Amino acid sequence: MAEFSWDVRSPLDRALVVGPYGSTGDAGVSLTEIRNFDLIQVMARRGKAAETAKAAKARFGVAAPETPKAVGTTDATLIWSGPDQFLVLSKGGKHTIEALAPVFAGSASLSDQSHARALISISGAKARMALAKLSSIDLHPDVFPVGAAAATSMDHTSVTLWRGRDRAEAVFSLLVFATFAESLWNTTLDAAAEYGVAIAHAADLG
Amino acid sequence: MRIVCPFCGERELGEYTYLGDAKPQRPAADAGEDAVYDYVYLRDNIAGVMSEHWYHGGGCRAWLKVTRNTLTHEISAVEPTAGAGAAKVGV
Repeated sequence: MAEFSWDVRSPLDRALVVGPYGSTGDAGVSLTEIRNFDLIQVMARRGKAAETAKAAKARFGVAAPETPKAVGTTDATLIWSGPDQFLVLSKGGKHTIEALAPVFAGSASLSDQSHARALISISGAKARMALAKLSSIDLHPDVFPVGAAAATSMDHTSVTLWRGRDRAEAVFSLLVFATFAESLWNTTLDAAAEYGVAIAHAADLG
Repeated sequence: MRIVCPFCGERELGEYTYLGDAKPQRPAADAGEDAVYDYVYLRDNIAGVMSEHWYHGGGCRAWLKVTRNTLTHEISAVEPTAGAGAAKVGV
């Protein structure tokens, strides 16, 4: 029998080259891929939205988002992904599918997306300018404040985009299907090149 | 053209896929061949206000019923179709 050796790699392993890119000088955009996270899709079963919401409140201590928003808890981020559904993003194995299965038993269907998506953090003074080239939604802080989220498309690719807690300036987070990640990564680099890009990857969620 | 998704807000056309007329209803099992033929193949070519199904595949993946004037592209109503999440809208 053949011996399989699974080499776990990021979908951006090939495309991501750590260091500066594009215009020289101060980087206007920071692009960081975040590796190693748990991502669980929670979808309420038909007619069980209220039960799902109750279970989520009991588990996370805050209400799960019912509109396009991202809600931070002490050890997870709950991101709206569609009507009666949200994503649970966490690290350190606290909210794995095994941990959440009993919580939502009977009320929601769960799907482990941990290795199915790439997570990219986009920040910097010109982050919004770069994203504006790819996204048709308005990311101005007046209409896309901290905690705003959107299920939308960038460069014809479905993404989940949200604005997390600021770190000196706005930080946008982007979840994209793993097989589309390289394509969107290169497109984002093209869009951001004129502002100067600082490329990195992080082992864990901040 | 933009469509205001009841879940996501105003979005560009590229996020949506068009299905077609929202009016035809699946005939009863014993309705006969003509009724099934009509349901599967025959469509009105409406010049004016029409009820249509659109899919927000580039966003929240909800099916929507859009009332649109095919002459002017004016959209007068957008509602979610029956299914997940639909009960919550408008409450």
